[in-house]
Amino acid sequence: MKPTKDELVDIIYKSLEEVNEQLPSDAQLRKSLDTTLFGRPDGLDSLGFVNFVALVEEKCADKYGISFPLVDRSSQENGVLENVGKFADSLLQRLNETAL
Amino acid sequence: MKGLLISDFNIENLASYLKKELNAPAIESVSVCYGQVSQTLLDDAAPIWRERPDFVVAWTRPEGVLQTFGDLLSCSPVSDQDLNREVDSYAAALLRASKRTRAMFVPTWVIPPFHQTQGLLDLAASGGGARALMRINVRLLELLAGAPIIHPLWGDKWIQLGGPAAFNYRLWYLGKIPFSNEVFKAAARDIKAALRGLNGQAKKIVLLDLDDVLWSGIVGDVGWEGLTLGGHDPAGEALVDFQRELKALTRRGILLAIVSKNEESVAMEAIAKHPEMVLKLDDFAGWRINWRDKAENIHALMNELNLGLDSAVFIDDSAVERARVRETLPGLFVPEWPSDKRLYPQALLSLDCFDRPWITEEDRQRSRMSAVDRERKQSKIDLGNLEEWLATLNTGVRVEELNQANLPRAAQLLNKTNQMNLSTRRMSEAEFQAWLREKTRRAWTFRVSDRFGDSGLTGILTIEIDGLRATIIDFVLSCRVMGRKIEEAMLHVGIKWARSAGVQEVYANYHQTGKNKPCYDFFEKSGLACRDGNIFVWDAGQAYPLPPAIHLVHDNGGTLAKKSAEENPSELLASI
Repeated sequence: MKPTKDELVDIIYKSLEEVNEQLPSDAQLRKSLDTTLFGRPDGLDSLGFVNFVALVEEKCADKYGISFPLVDRSSQENGVLENVGKFADSLLQRLNETAL
Repeated sequence: MKGLLISDFNIENLASYLKKELNAPAIESVSVCYGQVSQTLLDDAAPIWRERPDFVVAWTRPEGVLQTFGDLLSCSPVSDQDLNREVDSYAAALLRASKRTRAMFVPTWVIPPFHQTQGLLDLAASGGGARALMRINVRLLELLAGAPIIHPLWGDKWIQLGGPAAFNYRLWYLGKIPFSNEVFKAAARDIKAALRGLNGQAKKIVLLDLDDVLWSGIVGDVGWEGLTLGGHDPAGEALVDFQRELKALTRRGILLAIVSKNEESVAMEAIAKHPEMVLKLDDFAGWRINWRDKAENIHALMNELNLGLDSAVFIDDSAVERARVRETLPGLFVPEWPSDKRLYPQALLSLDCFDRPWITEEDRQRSRMSAVDRERKQSKIDLGNLEEWLATLNTGVRVEELNQANLPRAAQLLNKTNQMNLSTRRMSEAEFQAWLREKTRRAWTFRVSDRFGDSGLTGILTIEIDGLRATIIDFVLSCRVMGRKIEEAMLHVGIKWARSAGVQEVYANYHQTGKNKPCYDFFEKSGLACRDGNIFVWDAGQAYPLPPAIHLVHDNGGTLAKKSAEENPSELLASI
């Protein structure tokens, strides 16, 4: 099954919902494409981000049967973590490359 | 509450859930992770202990704190003695650290499935990792068993609740977090439930609807013969199991009561005659079976039982009734309830609100005592005049100094009594014991019995003497025996001792809480002079009379505090 961006955004939102369960109400992340993912004050701290990445990886593995590390050292430099939309684009690209 | 989480892994997710989980108590915690476990446990002067935590969670992986266990998992040969020695050292460190907090929780050790891949050898006498795990857990539990502050928690349960992904390898390699968040959520729920239990906030009573709760069907329509309960029916069998679980709660000291819209005679007949009923009439502390509003009935019933609304759980299959009661009585716990009766036993067991640190003989007998209390109250209604009625009870009050045998029950009573409680001090057994080491302090317990039965250890009185003044510090009486002149008998004992010690005045300082108004009401009528609103004083030049309805007996059993012979009040008690 070929992943679509909508599916990946859905996976990201579901993961954010779960991460939000741990966060105080004033630090919750919105389900929006322009939501900053990593780095305080708007995004997740390192612990929250670890939880988020593990959840997205787990959901991708469940849905597409593909398991690989979604984030590496270059992710931050490439601006992949800037917001939900860019993270979804990067995810789509990597899943498609792996599927090929 | 302030918590300290000590772990050899990243335990921040537990801290987040403890803080975020909505149920009381509110918790802020700090974590000590990775290689700091032994240092933190052993170093009394470590900065982390400067602010004494209310509780500590010491959650470790066995391979993280026992080097020999790690070796064993790597299939290296290890001796039982070496493994035991490490467990003993770890237990000693926990015991040492437990003195710096009010409660310490120690989850049992678990290992992930990838460490259990030796097949037949997992349980081998020599080198079997799973076998060694069981052994070290039992050894640790036995070593910690004598420490009242330490409460082991069952880590296996959290792993089971976490499902197949309980051990999370992604989180481990990303952040040194070994478990999925489902495991941490389960742990947070259990730790909060345990803290509520330790703080005397565990629920004390379950209020039950009848139709479609204890049995399936409407008894007023189909009669008891037409109800579905037991037999070869999935819902019927589940309801019998549900009743068995409720019965089990009564053996842990939780009361049951009925609040149902029915004809009382019809409902009573069903309870008495249906052959599959596990619960009998004697299992219920009280009931309101009529056609009035349930919220109104609950309010009246809880008043009758001398229990606060926040000590009750209300179980009803009707969403409308649940909403009505929830809205009208906001302090009451009204859980959502499944419509599928096969889920009732599980729904009850997952409530997480009955945890108590101890089960005493009084707890086991509470249900029977409550049935007796119901008879006693019926007798009160029949007799009318209170004094005359009290005289017919043949009430005996046995006074004992606090000692090793009665300490667990006394500490339990101290920590859970809300209504007749002068100062509402909460202390662990060890703290209570330590407080009593001062020679100027005394503590007595009071056991109450009458012609209907034995109510057990239901009262505590502590007094501190400072020069010519004695102050009653704790005046605690279970609601089960309130209003039967036991209060006056307790004052008689305390004041008699204070007078013999040469004091001129006896003080009782009332500390108001949201729940101890009954205590104020008693002191207001007690004969002690009220000063400045919350201070009550007795002129020790006069004896405080013992109510004629009370027969006082004393027990000269051993005391906790070592006091000199001339200070020992047993001679005084003998004359009381």
